[in-house]
Amino acid sequence: MQINLLHRPAQALAQVWLEPNESIVAESGAMVGMTTNVQMQTQSGGLMKGLKRMFGGESFFRNTFTAHNGNGELLLAHALSGDMSVLEMTQHGYFLQSSAFIASSPTVNIETKVGGFRGFFSGAGVFVLKAVSQGPGQVLVGGFGGIQELMCDGNIVIDTGHLVAWDATLTYTVGKSGAGWIASYLSGEGLVCHFKGQGRIWIQTRNPVEYGRSVGSQLPPRG
Amino acid sequence: MQYEVRQKPDFGIVAVRFDAPGEQLLVESSAMVARDTAMEMKTQMTGGILGAAKRKLLGGESIFQNTFTATAAGQTLWIAPGPEGDVQELICDGVTPVFMQSGAFLACAPTVQLDTKWGGAKGFFSGAGLFLLRAMGTGPLFFSCYGGIHPVDVGPNGYIVDTSHIVGWTGGLEYQVRKVGGLKSLFLSGEGLVCEFRGQGRVWVSTRNPSSLAAFLQPFRPVKNNG
Repeated sequence: MQINLLHRPAQALAQVWLEPNESIVAESGAMVGMTTNVQMQTQSGGLMKGLKRMFGGESFFRNTFTAHNGNGELLLAHALSGDMSVLEMTQHGYFLQSSAFIASSPTVNIETKVGGFRGFFSGAGVFVLKAVSQGPGQVLVGGFGGIQELMCDGNIVIDTGHLVAWDATLTYTVGKSGAGWIASYLSGEGLVCHFKGQGRIWIQTRNPVEYGRSVGSQLPPRG
Repeated sequence: MQYEVRQKPDFGIVAVRFDAPGEQLLVESSAMVARDTAMEMKTQMTGGILGAAKRKLLGGESIFQNTFTATAAGQTLWIAPGPEGDVQELICDGVTPVFMQSGAFLACAPTVQLDTKWGGAKGFFSGAGLFLLRAMGTGPLFFSCYGGIHPVDVGPNGYIVDTSHIVGWTGGLEYQVRKVGGLKSLFLSGEGLVCEFRGQGRVWVSTRNPSSLAAFLQPFRPVKNNG
């Protein structure tokens, strides 16, 4: 499997080359186009897994695309404007902010995890995905805006709305940004993620929830 | 006439420089960004009232289009589409027509004829709109979309495109709307319907689609207060 990223950064499109009988698992709705020998199968992976995923902010279902009778091409894209990155699987794997997931090799196991925070204030960050695999594999992630790679050397604090993915070598806790709840709320920084350890973190240069609020409030009311 | 599409793919804009007086470009209504003051602008209903009404009602284009005519050599014209995204340029060869999704047209030489074509009932199910714009003639043609434009050369084996990502395609391609996967996939995959293109030609796909953006924004709309 080879993934080429085209039209970067704002309109990124992933061109996936599949070898004969090779598959890729993609988020529902991500397919833009494909050669006719690529076949799609929809699966929830069981009711509980599907439900858990839905609570994780993703779709209940995922699609598996497989090339039959020769090589196949598949085009994948994210819903919002922004860049994509291909993460090569490591021994420790990755944590992903749930809406960043676009696709992964079938060898990669994607689990929905509770992000370690129980609260009502959150726009994001209650659920995260963990990508792990025994062998080599790839995960395709998408961001809103550009994607910036940061190194965590010791510790760093990141707004949850800007998170895309991070190395699973890092430990993290989700919490308030300021000293107290009121100060945190008033600062407009909302929830932040405190990272500890050594590893890479990918952030998106725009926060989708902030964007939604700024544009959505200009729209006529629903219902 | 010389032209260049700049700021691709994020915010495409066409810079046109006319070589001689009398040279013309037909531009979609409201797409002009800047022009020489001495340039002539004429607003018209291309194809007459009926043709224009048909295009508006059926093809999703504006009733009016503007024709810009150079009055001297070296005059410049800048044109850009509404949504953020790419602009594609193409030289029509007089032999192969180009079909566009309604709303994709940006500009063309006056020697290119635009017509609205019945896309067939399959257009209705595909979400691609019932009608298509057909461009035929010789000279440059510009079209645009929300997102980047990615060209796909279709060979005898065909190519499948999500219906909400089609911008346009060249004549010589046949297409069929169908579902992907089994019946379960039709309702649950989130992929809806696809177009399967067959034949020899090129399809332009958009890397984003406005309906996904709208669906993302929907929950952020204020809730109506009935009290």
